[in-house]
Amino acid sequence: MAYVNGPLIVQSDKTLLLEVDHEQADDCRRAIAPFAELERAPEHIHTYRLTPLGLWNARAAGHDAEQVVDALVQYSRYPVPHALLVDIAETMDRYGRLTLSKHPAHGLVLTTTDRPVLEEILRSKRVAPLVGVRIDPDSVAVHPSERGQIKQTLLKLGWPAEDLAGYVDGEAHPIELAEDGWALRPYQKQAVENFWHGGSGVVVLPCGAGKTLVGAGAMAQAKSTTLILVTNTVSARQWKHELVKRTSLTEEEIGEYSGTRKEIRPVTIATYQVLTTRRKGVYPHLELFDSRDWGLILYDEVHLLPAPVFKFTADLQARRRLGLTATLVREDGRESDVFSLIGPKRFDAPWKEIEAQGYIAPADCVEVRVNLTDSERLAYATAEAEEKYRFCATTATKRKVTEALVRRFAGQQILVIGQYIDQLDELGEHLNAPVIKGETSNAQREKLFDAFREGEISVLVVSKVANFSIDLPEATVAIQVSGTFGSRQEEAQRLGRVLRPKADGHQAHFYSVVARDTLDQDFAAHRQRFLAEQGYAYRIMDADELLAGEA
Amino acid sequence: MSTEDQRAPRSLAAALRARDDTSLAALLRARPDLITPVPTDLTQLATRAGTRASVVRALERLDRFALQTAEALAVAGDPATYAELLGLMAGDARDQAVADALPGALTALREQALIWGDEGSLRLVRTARELLAPSAQHPSPTGLGPSVREATAGMSPGRIQELVATAGLPSTHDSVSAVGALTALFTHRKKMAALLAKAPADSVDVLKRLMWGPPYGQVTADPAARLRWLLDRGLLLPTAPGTVVLPREVALHLREGRAHRTAEPVPPSVEPVATHRPQVVDATAAGQAYTTLATVEELLKDWHEGGPSVLRAGGLSVRDLKRTAVALDVSEPMAAFWVELAYAAGLLASDGEADERYAATPEYDEWLERPPADRWAQLAQAWLAATRTSGVVGGRDLKERALSALGPGLDRSAAPEVRHRVLTLLAGLPEGAVPDREAVLARLRWERPLRGPQGQQSPQGAQGQQGQQGQQGQQGQQAAQGPQGDDDLRARLARWTLTEAELLGVTGRGALSAHGRALLGARSAPRPPATASPTPTPTAQDDPTGRSGPAGPAGPGDKLPAPHRAAAAGSPATPLSPLSPLSPLSPPEQAVATAAAARLLAPLLPEPLDHVLLQADLTAVAPGPLRRPLADVLSVLADVESKGGATVYRFTPGSVRRALDAGRSASDLHAFLTEHSRTPVPQPLAYLIDDVARRHGHLRVGAASAYVRCDDDALLNEILADKRAAALRLRRLAPTVLATLADPAALLEGLRAMGFAPAAESAEGDVLITRAHAHRTPPRTAPEPVPDGPPVPDTTLLTAAIRAIRAGDLAATTPRKPTEDAAPLAPGELPRTSSAETLATMQAAVLTGEALWIGYVNAEGTASQRVIAPVRVEGGFVTAYDHTADEVRTYPLHRITGVAELADD
Repeated sequence: MAYVNGPLIVQSDKTLLLEVDHEQADDCRRAIAPFAELERAPEHIHTYRLTPLGLWNARAAGHDAEQVVDALVQYSRYPVPHALLVDIAETMDRYGRLTLSKHPAHGLVLTTTDRPVLEEILRSKRVAPLVGVRIDPDSVAVHPSERGQIKQTLLKLGWPAEDLAGYVDGEAHPIELAEDGWALRPYQKQAVENFWHGGSGVVVLPCGAGKTLVGAGAMAQAKSTTLILVTNTVSARQWKHELVKRTSLTEEEIGEYSGTRKEIRPVTIATYQVLTTRRKGVYPHLELFDSRDWGLILYDEVHLLPAPVFKFTADLQARRRLGLTATLVREDGRESDVFSLIGPKRFDAPWKEIEAQGYIAPADCVEVRVNLTDSERLAYATAEAEEKYRFCATTATKRKVTEALVRRFAGQQILVIGQYIDQLDELGEHLNAPVIKGETSNAQREKLFDAFREGEISVLVVSKVANFSIDLPEATVAIQVSGTFGSRQEEAQRLGRVLRPKADGHQAHFYSVVARDTLDQDFAAHRQRFLAEQGYAYRIMDADELLAGEA
Repeated sequence: MSTEDQRAPRSLAAALRARDDTSLAALLRARPDLITPVPTDLTQLATRAGTRASVVRALERLDRFALQTAEALAVAGDPATYAELLGLMAGDARDQAVADALPGALTALREQALIWGDEGSLRLVRTARELLAPSAQHPSPTGLGPSVREATAGMSPGRIQELVATAGLPSTHDSVSAVGALTALFTHRKKMAALLAKAPADSVDVLKRLMWGPPYGQVTADPAARLRWLLDRGLLLPTAPGTVVLPREVALHLREGRAHRTAEPVPPSVEPVATHRPQVVDATAAGQAYTTLATVEELLKDWHEGGPSVLRAGGLSVRDLKRTAVALDVSEPMAAFWVELAYAAGLLASDGEADERYAATPEYDEWLERPPADRWAQLAQAWLAATRTSGVVGGRDLKERALSALGPGLDRSAAPEVRHRVLTLLAGLPEGAVPDREAVLARLRWERPLRGPQGQQSPQGAQGQQGQQGQQGQQGQQAAQGPQGDDDLRARLARWTLTEAELLGVTGRGALSAHGRALLGARSAPRPPATASPTPTPTAQDDPTGRSGPAGPAGPGDKLPAPHRAAAAGSPATPLSPLSPLSPLSPPEQAVATAAAARLLAPLLPEPLDHVLLQADLTAVAPGPLRRPLADVLSVLADVESKGGATVYRFTPGSVRRALDAGRSASDLHAFLTEHSRTPVPQPLAYLIDDVARRHGHLRVGAASAYVRCDDDALLNEILADKRAAALRLRRLAPTVLATLADPAALLEGLRAMGFAPAAESAEGDVLITRAHAHRTPPRTAPEPVPDGPPVPDTTLLTAAIRAIRAGDLAATTPRKPTEDAAPLAPGELPRTSSAETLATMQAAVLTGEALWIGYVNAEGTASQRVIAPVRVEGGFVTAYDHTADEVRTYPLHRITGVAELADD
């Protein structure tokens, strides 16, 4: 009787367990979403985590500690440990003690409402080079060029600064969404709105949920010149294509700034690669950032942002920045840099939720385990450590399974995705399918993609170049034969390949072919845990079963 | 004796003699050191009550107001009248609050035998006076200097006459009357005011700077005019070359008669700063109580197969503490707290083996079997009474040795008393009310000012510094007065208490929970009639005069650092008070209270569940505590990933293998999961179990200490078939290999006996011996709390002691009838009579029923005097009621040195 039977259990390690089948689960999710990061969303109990970053995100979005505590206390099934509540209040209290703002005489100033905090941070060696004269006991001038740096540093010191210095409008350029026969989905609108309201930040949407449109929406809001940073040339073309189709922009207004072309237009799409090219110790293409008075900078696949781009971004703090990603998980753990340099998370929607709304295809995830032959096992056991994964990932047995799967789904659009070129080449040969790999020219790639889209080719074998941002709307089956070790975000991207909504509402299939009792299986377990945590239940099959079903 | 009652007592002993038994009992209860051992008579009791050690102890236990009263008495005349004391305490303005509280303080002081005498002549016990009165060596906490008489003691008569003359008094011929005249002038408010009115303004400033002390200042050989003016009139008196002092009388005039800048007759009240709903408080506390149990279990589980080693000097190494902290996912100080808690409750101890390690005690296994609420109550009770304090872990003792958890030197005798006091203060608030930490600390400081650094000295200390800016420096009293460098132990104990109480779930959100209240033995505070509104009286409700001080048993006998002691010595005394209703409980009472607490807590603890939720990401979530068997199996089958109200388990190949190793089959596990899961078992999990089971046991490992190898299977067959080989317990591992657990020597022996000729192979094989699990110490008792000083005697003991003292007193003081022709006895001398006379007197006494005074030498040859009433004399023994021992005893006549009748009156 002492307990309200709430849906939430607050753990002492700051995770929150939400029972999804509980009647109050939805209310509770809404209440805790602003400040807690959804960590895992399997079928019954979702795990959220309270992190300082998440709490500061909430502060930045205008929530205060009291709301957070209320939400926890209201929905919690058991008494919430007092220490945890105190800790939340203290953590949230750290945000906003320092603010960055414009000053008529000094340009940019850092002011504090709590003098000891200012004293403390000024004493830090890392802050010292970033600040100028002390204007009065409560404020200090900051070199405008260090705006990003100081935010990053302060966050590391645990005193995140609130950036009120505002944004420059940039050069105006008319952009409208051309909503003819389509419209932004409600969650996309919400994302654009949240971003615009917050000024800068990151929108997290699953693959296939239409991030490009969120970008286009943001551009239509900003109505100014825009710099779009993407991962590679194919993706750049994809963006261009999409923008021409979805907005009032014309081909001429959109420039591509890549290894092959160096166009600077009101809307310019640049690749990370070209930006990070170094010649004689300098980055020759950095001037791109200054080449126009950009009003908006878009970062596609923000979780892949290379470290040097972070450095440049630190200098762009006066411009509006929008990051787009499917996951904030960075394998390098630099989530906090994304927070301080691009901005806090502004929108987030779990995959399952969007799938439930019918915007992405439901998927059937299956892991197929193949056995190594005796001689392969011996060879595997004696292989050098760095060769082991390659060895087990490319076992010949996988080929048979892949062929069987292709046969089973004959008539559907099938992607075979792998890591090792010779394996892919071999598969291509046996399946009689074209192979797209790093050395395939862009023209050739686009030709093949078009053919695949048109249904002229039904099986395509692709290397990791297909991981990002190529739109293959009609693929309904993906077969993964090898991956980049245990990369979780790769798994997410690949699943994304098949999740684009299908014209005929077909169920998508995602197969991973894995060699049993090897490293391959361990890596697969790591990746699949991620899938399961996203709510995608998967099955495990034995290859024999599959092959037997065939025969 | 009756006559004596009428007159004013002439000594402390006499004053004590005049007190009734109840009042003596109160004294002994307040100062239990006085009856260890039981004094023989009241004179001895009085002497003991006047010893320095005992007086210091008593003074340290005074609350601030009683202490101030004693301090004032120390600067007043000896004896002082009540009016004089009231003047010092309440000032010329006659502060009413002080006047109201003063009689109470005097009663308390008198009860503790720190003062005696009636209102007309109040006397502070000499030792206390010495401790509290200002002297050149140690300043008074009042900041007052010596009196004119004391300050002029070494002065030449000529100089004194000059002073008198300059002050405008008629000259006299002897110094004594001159000093008297000067004193009279200084104490006469009007005349003094007139005198000071004439003083130059800067001279008055000088006086003001010294007025609140310290009263000493420095002057140059050629003082400035403003000082000269004061020196000439004796308003400042030289004490040593270059130093002057403000005489006490002058200071008192300037202070308008007050001995203290602020008298504090009323204890600072402890007000609630926030109020939570009692339900919230109880639920939070219960949640924490549950965490307590979980943490202690986890700790001991972690140490299940042998905990960390014991350091040579005793205790847990810093590294082991760190490891424990990581394992429990808490900070190190908290880890130290949990470890100490388990130790105090007798759940863990050192196993005492050669390679000494910590391990759970057998008591732990019993503890585990009890209901959760009882388990908690046991821990809480141990915590309440423990003198070991985990808070000091990580610090250093006086010899700079590091203090380690479970190690020596952690006992702080004051801990139980402070803990109890703090909780009692919380209990004084309405339910759900959270006091301000600082207010609690202030209250504790008021109750035991001498144990705290910021006694009333601090205002004066500050003043002193101002004084220093003037040209007068000040003598180094600062050191003695300033706050003791080390943070005050009681305050730290109090802070720890609040923190630990929250950790344990005695309090919730800072307010005392219902079960916490019960643990203290308090009746539960009345629930507010309407659920929400807090009760109207928000203050701590012990009576203001009344130090409901824990006249407690557990005296704080801390090992004070030296400066502390000095300061302690510099002050005064306390009122003792009627025992507060919440005085620490005796063991039986505590047991009742603990049981009551457990009863209150039980319904609040979450009900253990019998199911979990299985998910496809290979986790199982237990949305609450699990039934023990279920929890035990799950903890083998899966790894715990997150703890708290719920538990998240993760299945890994490793954990499933562990379960298979523990003897469960895959089908067992499937059945187990199906039975206990609310949700269908996800396919990947089922697959995982089967997959692990498939490989489990593929390779076999066993222990063997010897083997027989032979290329000829037939020979091995023969050996196996041989009956004589049965004892060797040979087992065939492969066609050509037999293995046995017998050692190689025995195997060789056996085979040879069977007529074979085996050859030994070099013994290079690994021998695996499984060790027994569940390491336990031999039976251990929990560490005893170490109170300082003797425990407060219970009523039986007190009554007995008083009777004994009275009887002894009777024996020592009753006038005796001189025996004819015997020389009067010197005091303390044993009566001597011939045995015939002894026998005759005894027999006469049996008939008359009179009491006799005898000298008696016991078997060890110790002589004593006793007062007995003989009942029977026979066979060389006298059976008598012994007044001294308060019982009927039998004495051999030959040991009685002599006998005398008691005087008639």
